[in-house]
Amino acid sequence: MIRIIKKTDFPFIKYSWTAISISLVIIAIGLVSLIFRGLNFGIDFTGGTLVQVQFQKPMEVDDVRGALSTVGLANSTIQKSGENEFIIRIPQSDDKGNIREVFKSTFGITDTDILKIEQVGPKIGKELRGKALLAIFFSFIVIGIYIAVRFKFQYAIGAILSLLHDVLITLTVFTVFQLEVSLTTIAAFLTIIGYSLNDTIVIFDRVRENLKVLRNENYERIMDVSINETLSRTIITDLTVFFVVLCLLFVPGEVRIFAIAMTVGSIAGTYSTIYIAGPVVVFWARKFKPTKK
Amino acid sequence: MFKKTNIRFIIIGVAVVLALYSLYWTVAYNSLSPAKMESLKTAGKLDKYENRIIRLGLDLQGGMHVVLELNLPKLVETIASNKTPEFYSILQATTQEAKVNEEDFFTVFERNVEKNNFKLVRYFTNRGYKNSDIVQSLKDESKDAMRRALEIIRNRVDQFGVSEPTIQKAGEYRIIVELAGIQDAARARELIQSTALMEFNLLKEPEVTQSFIASVDNYLKTGKTDIVKEAVAAKDSAVALKESKDKSISVNELLGKTSVSASTQSETADSSVVVDEAMFADKPFSSLLRNVNQMIGVPESNVFAVKKILENPAVAKLIPYDSKFLWSAKPERMTMQDGKTESFYILYHVNYEAGLQGKYITKASATVGGAGAQTAGQPIVNFGMNNEGAKIFSRLTGSNIGKRLAIILDDKVYMAPSIRSKIPNGSGYIEGLEDMDEAKNIAIVLRAGALPAQVDVIEERTIGPSLGRDSVATGTQVGFLALLIVMIFMFFYYRRSGLLANMALILNMIFTMAIMAMLRATLTLPGIAGLVLTIGMAVDANVLIFERIREELERGKTVKAAIETGYSRALSAILDSNITTLLTALILMQFGTGPVKGFAVTLFWGITSSMFTAIFVTRTFYNWRTDRHVLKTLSI
Repeated sequence: MIRIIKKTDFPFIKYSWTAISISLVIIAIGLVSLIFRGLNFGIDFTGGTLVQVQFQKPMEVDDVRGALSTVGLANSTIQKSGENEFIIRIPQSDDKGNIREVFKSTFGITDTDILKIEQVGPKIGKELRGKALLAIFFSFIVIGIYIAVRFKFQYAIGAILSLLHDVLITLTVFTVFQLEVSLTTIAAFLTIIGYSLNDTIVIFDRVRENLKVLRNENYERIMDVSINETLSRTIITDLTVFFVVLCLLFVPGEVRIFAIAMTVGSIAGTYSTIYIAGPVVVFWARKFKPTKK
Repeated sequence: MFKKTNIRFIIIGVAVVLALYSLYWTVAYNSLSPAKMESLKTAGKLDKYENRIIRLGLDLQGGMHVVLELNLPKLVETIASNKTPEFYSILQATTQEAKVNEEDFFTVFERNVEKNNFKLVRYFTNRGYKNSDIVQSLKDESKDAMRRALEIIRNRVDQFGVSEPTIQKAGEYRIIVELAGIQDAARARELIQSTALMEFNLLKEPEVTQSFIASVDNYLKTGKTDIVKEAVAAKDSAVALKESKDKSISVNELLGKTSVSASTQSETADSSVVVDEAMFADKPFSSLLRNVNQMIGVPESNVFAVKKILENPAVAKLIPYDSKFLWSAKPERMTMQDGKTESFYILYHVNYEAGLQGKYITKASATVGGAGAQTAGQPIVNFGMNNEGAKIFSRLTGSNIGKRLAIILDDKVYMAPSIRSKIPNGSGYIEGLEDMDEAKNIAIVLRAGALPAQVDVIEERTIGPSLGRDSVATGTQVGFLALLIVMIFMFFYYRRSGLLANMALILNMIFTMAIMAMLRATLTLPGIAGLVLTIGMAVDANVLIFERIREELERGKTVKAAIETGYSRALSAILDSNITTLLTALILMQFGTGPVKGFAVTLFWGITSSMFTAIFVTRTFYNWRTDRHVLKTLSI
């Protein structure tokens, strides 16, 4: 039998304040960045045009920019995505008429060279953003209700706070590094929520069980025991998830950003389960049930 | 216990067989050669495949996703008359305001009208006197314009040449059109947005049509392109309703009798159409046609073949210069003598020139014939036209009594009622409609000519086919890589039990894909991501179980007891965590659009099937071992 870790007995809850402080600092940095730099919303949310082109002759970013500025598209962002292949994002304000034809005449290319065109109107962009936020909001509510029913109310609070933590940490990474937020990123956020919740529920499940077995222990001890008992599972599962996400990093385009979000999120998820979800439940128990037998 | 395990194996076996069968079609479809695919299409048999394969999303096979929005300001402007500069300025301000504040156009419009003490009745007649009534009436008009726009786009889709186009209404004034695998996006965009053309064309005299059919028969039989003048008095002798001796023959065989046969098609075995055996030798073209209510009906499976024949350059020359052949917009269902129902498209032979253009129509509505009238109680369509149209229509109907007049929208014939009498004043009605729905539909078509509904593209996503192919390749590679790494890790860590989990994982992938095929769900690039993430989740279930079994073994339990406890203790954690994931996936399916939805669908079915494979399947194999032997050790 191969073991990654032997039986452990870390006093996790004892250090939870330190951990929570670190989290708060990171989130504070994120909020500051969010206020001053904001998020780099993709055209899904801002509206605008994205064109992916494959040139048949050697081209560099500057060549593309030069050609585009002659037709009044100087404000476009140009990104090299492969050999003579570029992704060009044109802001909403510069979007005029038939971008496809403009590209064809400017660069002397044909329809088959245009790999992809995405054109999103500003109204649609706002709607999509609204829908995405709604989706996250609803999933929080539904998850909260489910946990409150299956476990107890305080567990729902713990789980949701830990999920909020994960989303905020991931948002911090997105705003600090100005990664593009698209519809796919929203999917990543929701997957992170899913995974983090997985960890949380596994530990809560163990607590539920240990509450019956270790009747003479206090809540803090039971939480520590439960986290330690499930620690090898947490590590193994997170390792496999990590392998999978590592593979996703190789898919070009949006999926890569998805993978980055997943990597950050799954680390935050594991951590928050132990240091946010667990402690919240323990604190709650201390505050409202001081005479627990 | 032994028996129970057998039942479990049977359940697994049945599931595997079902899954493999459902996936068989996708594999078979993808290994079809282009020639074979073409011949299956000719024979109308490709549907059988297309209905059962895993469909690839636009991002994987290339294609176009367009969101159209009804141009409300334009519509209001078109309806209004006696327009003054003030009217234009209010309309413009409203358009701007609605755009910036993202408010409903009509709400802003009404507010602006009230604010400026405007009297809408100056510009809109027959819509009431109060501003609010007129706005309400304009709103109704917009909803009708939406119906027309939808009908027009639906009517045009087959010109795009894609299988399974999606056309759906989204919100009040939006239409989503999805065309997978489209090659010429620019043309498709043009086609969607162009104004609809509604016309009335007279049908050709049956004798002329019969002579043409006979000429084509003659040409296909002998290769000669003489115009056959033989008078075919009774229609039914040529287009006979006989289905007793139908046999299948190949289209190539059909065209092969002439020198212009399509020699590129090598595989002919499956490309068959249904013809009447007795008639085929003598009249190869007629044998493809049927008599449907005195019209030329073409069974659905023969449509492609008939189209091909009509497109044949030599045959095209035989068509009288002042006429053209058009197809009915929708198939007609007929119950045959033997009780079976069959679908027919009607082939109309109409005058090349339109008798009357749809732009003259001013109104059309579906209603029920009033009491006392000949049409009492039947659905009818009333229509009216302006003075100019009335003059033309009066001449047209007066000199063609007894003939049939086809109602054509964008080259598709909706119906061809007979002209009963001269209609002098430009208002008449159409009778003989199947039901109220058909009447409503015909009214929509007539109005499409009257009031064009302009739609604007507000979102367009076009993905070229080569990018799609690349994405499929990388997606599949990454999927397999992820699977492989996880499997190696599981085997390394859990040994034989790891192998069991790996088998469950492969089964999970097979089941998920099979469910996707059965539900006709669409696989997208984010969908592949969802599948890859399912791998992680599915493995987690087994990790939970195995870790638990290890714990129980360490506590000194026997192998059998450890397995027993391991599964039952891990179950609640697995269920709770999977159910929350399923709930998230469900919410995503509900609120998500496009890519997010694709992700949610695979995640949902992946997790669902993982509960079967990771728990039920692996447990069955453990049971099988513990049933037969008393295990002292377990490879875990």
